[in-house]
Amino acid sequence: MAVPAYRGTNNLQSLRTPNTSRATLWRSKQPQFDSSHNLPEYLEAYQSASPPLASPVTLGVFSLIIINKAGGLIYQREFQAGLRNLSTNDYLVLAGTFHGVHAITRSITPKIPISQPAPFPATSSTGTTVPAASGYSYPNPGVPVSGLDYLETDKFRMTCFQTLTGTKFLLFTDPLTGHVDTIIQKIYELYADYVMKNPFYQIEMPVRCEAFDRHLGAWLRGRT
Amino acid sequence: MAAPPRHATMQSISNGGIAPGIDKPQTQQTQQAQLSQQSPGLRVPSNRKTIYDRHLNRSRNTELSRASFAFLFGEMVTYAQRRVTGIQDLEKRLNEQGYPLGLRLLDLLFYRSTSTSSSALSSSSTSSSPPNRPLRIITLLHLIHGPLWRLLFGRAADALEHSVSPDTPNEYMITDNDPMVNTYISAPRDMSMLNCAAYVAGIIEGVCDGCGFETKVSAHNQPTELWPSRTVFLVRFGDPVMEREKVLERAGVK
Amino acid sequence: MSSTKTSRIGEETRVDKVNAELVTLTYGTIVAQLCQDYDGNYQDVNKQLDKMGYNIGMRLIEDFLAKSGVGRCANFRETADMIAKVGFKIFLNVTPTVTNWTSDNSQFSLIFEDNPLADFVELPDDGRAQDELWFSNILCGVLRGSLEMVNTPVQMQIEAHFVSDVLRGDDTTEMRVSLVRYIEDEMPPEEE
Repeated sequence: MAVPAYRGTNNLQSLRTPNTSRATLWRSKQPQFDSSHNLPEYLEAYQSASPPLASPVTLGVFSLIIINKAGGLIYQREFQAGLRNLSTNDYLVLAGTFHGVHAITRSITPKIPISQPAPFPATSSTGTTVPAASGYSYPNPGVPVSGLDYLETDKFRMTCFQTLTGTKFLLFTDPLTGHVDTIIQKIYELYADYVMKNPFYQIEMPVRCEAFDRHLGAWLRGRT
Repeated sequence: MAAPPRHATMQSISNGGIAPGIDKPQTQQTQQAQLSQQSPGLRVPSNRKTIYDRHLNRSRNTELSRASFAFLFGEMVTYAQRRVTGIQDLEKRLNEQGYPLGLRLLDLLFYRSTSTSSSALSSSSTSSSPPNRPLRIITLLHLIHGPLWRLLFGRAADALEHSVSPDTPNEYMITDNDPMVNTYISAPRDMSMLNCAAYVAGIIEGVCDGCGFETKVSAHNQPTELWPSRTVFLVRFGDPVMEREKVLERAGVK
Repeated sequence: MSSTKTSRIGEETRVDKVNAELVTLTYGTIVAQLCQDYDGNYQDVNKQLDKMGYNIGMRLIEDFLAKSGVGRCANFRETADMIAKVGFKIFLNVTPTVTNWTSDNSQFSLIFEDNPLADFVELPDDGRAQDELWFSNILCGVLRGSLEMVNTPVQMQIEAHFVSDVLRGDDTTEMRVSLVRYIEDEMPPEEE
């Protein structure tokens, strides 16, 4: 019997491969384990034959990138076979550029004067005078200013979800793909589980977590 | 019974909940004085809300967030990692962290099996667990495979096997297809041998030692396509245990 | 956000569960290990626990936000409510009381009726632990780490410490939380 885990075991040389010869003395009666209960989520995704939300339009998730607080690319993955690949460098540039554009869209959000308009700012024709920010406010001050939320062409839609911690998830989908918010929310949850709870993951560094890849892939496949 | 030295050192931790620091002679004297007056050295709240005033079964079926466990366990792994030289060393340290848990859980299991009906212990997968300390290897392993696993993870372990190799009659294997402690953990590629369930191996070792079975337990990755984090706990009993086992066998002790 | 709505989020957020005793004993084993590693120097143990909590907080905040789906808090009072009724509810299944506000709304206390981390715990009877060790100090770090990470659009710096603990023989377990400052994140993008 092949025992993959024991191949080339430099660190465990003292150990014999334990199952080269063994007899099953006690194997718990299978039915006793509620298999559905014990199945990991990614298998449940396989199992549920009915598509979630009964929507066939969940197809068309092309790719995902994750950008850290500083604008660095920390994760990139394509979900459809045969997509023309951008080079790693292209992705890095994309991440950095988007990060900048996102910040700009936040800072150019128009501000309106608050209730009592201060003496009209002496705006010269050259527009050099910047009005004091204290006299102005964003429309609907209760709602925080967000940056670019999505970007759409005839062929694709790129949705950006920025968490309150400043991490950005960029999801590339078909423009017709529905429930993008739900998909991104689920991706965020998987990220919270399989990236943030992995002690070997260092915050802000590139994401290399096998369990995250696995669950993300299985969950998205389960949706189609 | 020759208790392994480790058992002895760990015992001090299991008494107070925390390893006592190096006491200054002065404080020891005051403690002794207090003890002789039959008054505890520890202050207690005026409402006497201490561990002795709460029922030990209070938390029996309570649950907490799995995330909280994952974060604490993750931090334990991170902390252990800073002080070790390699994978084996790291696993050893995790094992040592689990060990005192095993000793305590054993008491808890016995306490609960006797204070309620003895059938609580032997509910499903084990048919004949006595409420008392196991004397034979098989009884002990059933205790671990069933009641211990259910207490910790809410279900029994997935398999229990015995080596048939004549060279290793002392080796047993407990399999968990998807160990809860590893749910969120992905070891980096250069540490692919690592299995953080060494912590659980330590718990098993504590239970065995607490029962008087000198054992070494280690956790190994044995992934299958269906179960990528399938783990085998290899339980190796010491020679004195195997000798005693023969005697008990002859004496017909179950 | 209204206080009752906050409570409802705490109640309704779905949480994967695990046996509570495993969590309690695992935390106990961490503290016991530190006491051993630091030779019973409890000040160092407190510091290390706080540091560990900080590391956890930086990660836990993502789980908190992802699972609860809550948005930004409008002020520090709302933050306090969110910590007690959603944060502690989700992660420790307790809801500490928020009280003892200072008049400038920058400091409050969390009073813990129950503390699952300390469920089976008695501090060592060595004449020092009850005066020096804050057994649950990891929680202070968790608060600090998680609040510091919420930086869009404003970052929050806080300080947290325990002022009493039933494990020390006090009648209550109380943590004091202070807002140090808000750090505005209105910097223009640094383009090269």
